[in-house]
Amino acid sequence: MSSRKKILLKVIILGDSGVGKTSLMNQYVNKKFSASYKATIGADFLTKEVLVDDRLVTMQLWDTAGQERFQSLGVAFYRGADCCVLVYDVNNAKSFDTLDSWRDEFLIQASPMDPESFPFVVLGNKVDVGEDKRVVSGKRAMAFCQGKGGIPYFETSAKEAVNVEQAFEVIARNALAQEESQDFNPDFPETIPINIGEQNQGCNC
Amino acid sequence: MSSSTEPQVEDATREPPSPPSPTASFYDMSDDEEGGYSTIRHSKSGKGVKLLYTKSKVYVHPSPSARDNIPGYVAVMQQKPARDLIASPPTSPGSSSSVGRRAEINSLLLAWVPEKSLGEANTIYTKVESNDSGEPPKQSHLVPAPPVTTSHSSSVGAYAFAIPVTDIFSILVRPPNTGWWFGSIVINTRAGDSFPALFFHDSECQSTIDQRKKLQRENFSISGEDGEGMFWGGDEVIRWLKKFVTVERSSQEPSVYLIEPSESDRVGFGSAGKPTPDKVRNVLEGKHKDDPAQPRKGSVNDGDPVMKALKQARWSFLEKMSQVTTFTRRTAQAVAENKNLPPQVRRLMQDPQVQTVSDEFDSARLYLARWAMGIAEQSERERSQRIWTAKDMLEMEETGVGEFEVLDMEAQDLSLMDKRKPVTVEEWNGYFNVGTGVLEKTPDEVKDRIFHGGLDPDDSVRKEAWLFILGVYEWTSTKQERHAKMNSLRDEYIRLKGAWWERMLDEQGTLEEREWWKEQKMRIEKDVHRTDRHIPLFAGEDIPHPDPDSPFAEAGTNVHLEQMKDMLLTYNEYNRDLGYVQGMSDLLAPIYAIEQDDAVAFWGFVKFMERMERNFLRDQSGMRLQLVTLDQLCQLLDPKLYDHLQKVDSTNFFFFFRMLLVWFKREFSFPDILRLYETLWTDYLSSNFHLFIAMAILEKHRNVIIDHLKGFDEVLKYVNELSGTIDLPSTLIRAEALFRRFQRTVEAIDRKSSFPGMPKPELRQRLPVPPPTSPGVDGRPRRASQAATGSSAGASASGRAPTVGDHVAAGIGAQKEKVVTPELRALLSREVPKLDKQEVKDHGGGVGA
Ligand SMILES: Nc1nc2c(ncn2[C@@H]2O[C@H](COP(=O)(O)OP(=O)(O)OP(=O)(O)O)[C@@H](O)[C@H]2O)c(=O)[nH]1
Ligand SMILES: [Mg+2]
Repeated sequence: MSSRKKILLKVIILGDSGVGKTSLMNQYVNKKFSASYKATIGADFLTKEVLVDDRLVTMQLWDTAGQERFQSLGVAFYRGADCCVLVYDVNNAKSFDTLDSWRDEFLIQASPMDPESFPFVVLGNKVDVGEDKRVVSGKRAMAFCQGKGGIPYFETSAKEAVNVEQAFEVIARNALAQEESQDFNPDFPETIPINIGEQNQGCNC
Repeated sequence: MSSSTEPQVEDATREPPSPPSPTASFYDMSDDEEGGYSTIRHSKSGKGVKLLYTKSKVYVHPSPSARDNIPGYVAVMQQKPARDLIASPPTSPGSSSSVGRRAEINSLLLAWVPEKSLGEANTIYTKVESNDSGEPPKQSHLVPAPPVTTSHSSSVGAYAFAIPVTDIFSILVRPPNTGWWFGSIVINTRAGDSFPALFFHDSECQSTIDQRKKLQRENFSISGEDGEGMFWGGDEVIRWLKKFVTVERSSQEPSVYLIEPSESDRVGFGSAGKPTPDKVRNVLEGKHKDDPAQPRKGSVNDGDPVMKALKQARWSFLEKMSQVTTFTRRTAQAVAENKNLPPQVRRLMQDPQVQTVSDEFDSARLYLARWAMGIAEQSERERSQRIWTAKDMLEMEETGVGEFEVLDMEAQDLSLMDKRKPVTVEEWNGYFNVGTGVLEKTPDEVKDRIFHGGLDPDDSVRKEAWLFILGVYEWTSTKQERHAKMNSLRDEYIRLKGAWWERMLDEQGTLEEREWWKEQKMRIEKDVHRTDRHIPLFAGEDIPHPDPDSPFAEAGTNVHLEQMKDMLLTYNEYNRDLGYVQGMSDLLAPIYAIEQDDAVAFWGFVKFMERMERNFLRDQSGMRLQLVTLDQLCQLLDPKLYDHLQKVDSTNFFFFFRMLLVWFKREFSFPDILRLYETLWTDYLSSNFHLFIAMAILEKHRNVIIDHLKGFDEVLKYVNELSGTIDLPSTLIRAEALFRRFQRTVEAIDRKSSFPGMPKPELRQRLPVPPPTSPGVDGRPRRASQAATGSSAGASASGRAPTVGDHVAAGIGAQKEKVVTPELRALLSREVPKLDKQEVKDHGGGVGA
């Protein structure tokens, strides 16, 4: 029965405002780029079905607003995430500098069971913009990723669909691995929901 | 034969104009005996019609509840004008000239009569129904004539109707699918009207059961008319009609049977030619293809094409009520597989893209829920033509269908009173003294007009009127004073703008300040380039970017975008405690679009921001307050929906965050936003009327939410995707109805509690202190778990801003007792909640803090 259970992978995309989170998601799911996506307000998600090693999974990609002050509202979605994607803009140093705090904030709020092994993926976006504008080198980004336990790193362009497909394939794979490792843990899902179930049914005494 | 319907009998031959010839009679065609016909002459002339064919257990489904189904008979009748009956004996057989045929058709009616209204005629119906010869009975069976109509609006519902066959343009036929749905037919008239679907409950209908048996005996098959499915009641109707008129099944539109088609109809729907989308739409909408009003080009192209096409699905529209509430996975699949679905829709369902959606049940449920809602939305627009009258709604209330419908009824009443025109510039100018320019009406009268009618979008009235309702101008001012005010505001704007300009050049201030400022500039730049670019005003990229290092240097810009950036940077400087926050560009754009003058728009925006500041605070306390208020409003007005939202973890109302933050800017079209904003700015009923707009949107979809949405993510997705589909005029009306209901409820509760010293509504709303710990994993404020009896008074008197937890009346959940919290009471106030400077300093998160 459990093998036939539908697999839903929850992926959270984080990063400063304007780095291209919405654009990346749309490029991946809808295969298009529009220069006039609006700044994200609140939160939204897109779903996409993909085959990972012959297993059909549904990815639910959560996109939230990048401005810090809206983040306190985003925490509701972090729970139960299977993978977190950290995006920065290779032409914007600050967006790279904040990656660390995005990661920390995520780990605090989502509180995954094993933070050390929780899968992240880092995307350096907007590589289509001229080399002369670029301020964060791939080397620097890779060093960062190494330092965090070997986070996979991709340089992408949502605009020109560079590396987007490849990046999300790794995201899907790592999310699935994470989801499956959760399944092996027997205590987590069982203790709490029992009480909730009882409450929902109401007490007839 | 007595009948209450008698006086309503109309002369069916009045239209179309060609009068029946004296030779007209069914028997001209059918070689029947003259003797039978003479019965009619003996009858009380014109008071009866001859029942040729009929079938029982044909239902109208007026509501989703099977309880409301009305059983009746579908019948073909022949009407004979009295004068002909008296003046002319039937002519000899064989005179089937085209004139005669025409006239004979003219006398035919296709009718539906409810069982209940049959009275004595019951036995005649039964008798004619059981005639299994396949031919009309030899004997004339006279029954009372149902009222003849060519449009359903007047008489359909619990009442009989009859349509002259000559007035029928087409019949849509949807065969039954056992266990899934009843077979049904829809009659489309030449006038472009559609009658409600008639559902054939074949298993209850003795004649159909008998006919099936007979078919099986004779042909070893029980397939029906087209040899495709099982024989059913609808087949019979088509067979009857074929006896008298040309009935052609459209090869392109297999569910469409054209009645007496013209040559051009044949080309349009029949063997020749491919159906164009317009033609398909005509059929689906029951429109005659020659209708000059067609086609409506363009309107179909915007928005999600799948949604649009599905909205066109006439079938679903006609069955809307049952579908909206009874959609299940099975029907969803059935719909996708149904051969009788209009090809346009079927194609879309087969589209691989759509198919993947359907395969995935969870997404399919959302998708179909949206579809069903789209159908309901369309029905709302066409409500005036529907059989749903206020009276029906009242009856539904008695049968307990739900508050939702009752609310719509209230809304309808309001809409009748509300036929007010927008305020034009002439009317507006007329409000003011010609000499002094002083307003000669009360501000309330003007606000009433704007609230209900809006300002004319096609003249220049908004340019000036907005400055009044935004508060840039005083209502009591003279023309001269306004002139002076504007001059000083312009100077001030230039000064403020100069200040940040200097900052940019001189790099003054602390390092932190400079960093902040650079970041803000970047943020504004990015957001302006993402704000309303589909509006022509902001679309152009015709001038080079002033800053070659900008990420937008390549794309270019236009003067309006540059003005927007200047205004927002100026605001960032003007209100340093808060600074620019994402979402503000959305709020400025409409004002700038109307004023098209940066200084004027800037001050309009400043005024708008005074009330919106609370939305942008760093700690989100202002947004929390509004979400909590919405939560309470929902508990009070729609406990059933609230229960459901609780079950699906959605009572944080986060799914309304976007709508509240920028006042529905992302949900409505730009022109609708202009109308909505001016309505809200009047504060005519409540300074928090936007929460009633939110409630109105929620109520509209409450059935879908309750029936179909099973998780927080589904609710969020569903609500996000309402964007672009919400009808503004009906939403405004519903919001007003909700406000009135809210007001009555509060009054009732106050009376009941007869609490002598009810706390006065707090006019200036205070912000809740953010929750002491983090807001909790679900992002919602924590709530007091124990009843805070006598909730408000203490907290507000103490000077401590009450926390949300203090206010949310427990008790609501526990005892189901209705409690008016201070947040709710504040909704009755028309005074705009504004923050003081200190509050902005404390919570703003700008550089001034
Ligand atoms: N050249 C280039 N521009 C991009 C790329 N991706 C996004 N952009 C542009 O960068 C800006 C921001 O993109 P979004 O996708 O809206 O950014 P976001 O991260 O979702 O921003 P928030 O919603 O504010 O958090 C837009 O103007 C995009 O057109 C890219 O790969 N290349
Ligand atoms: Mg975004």
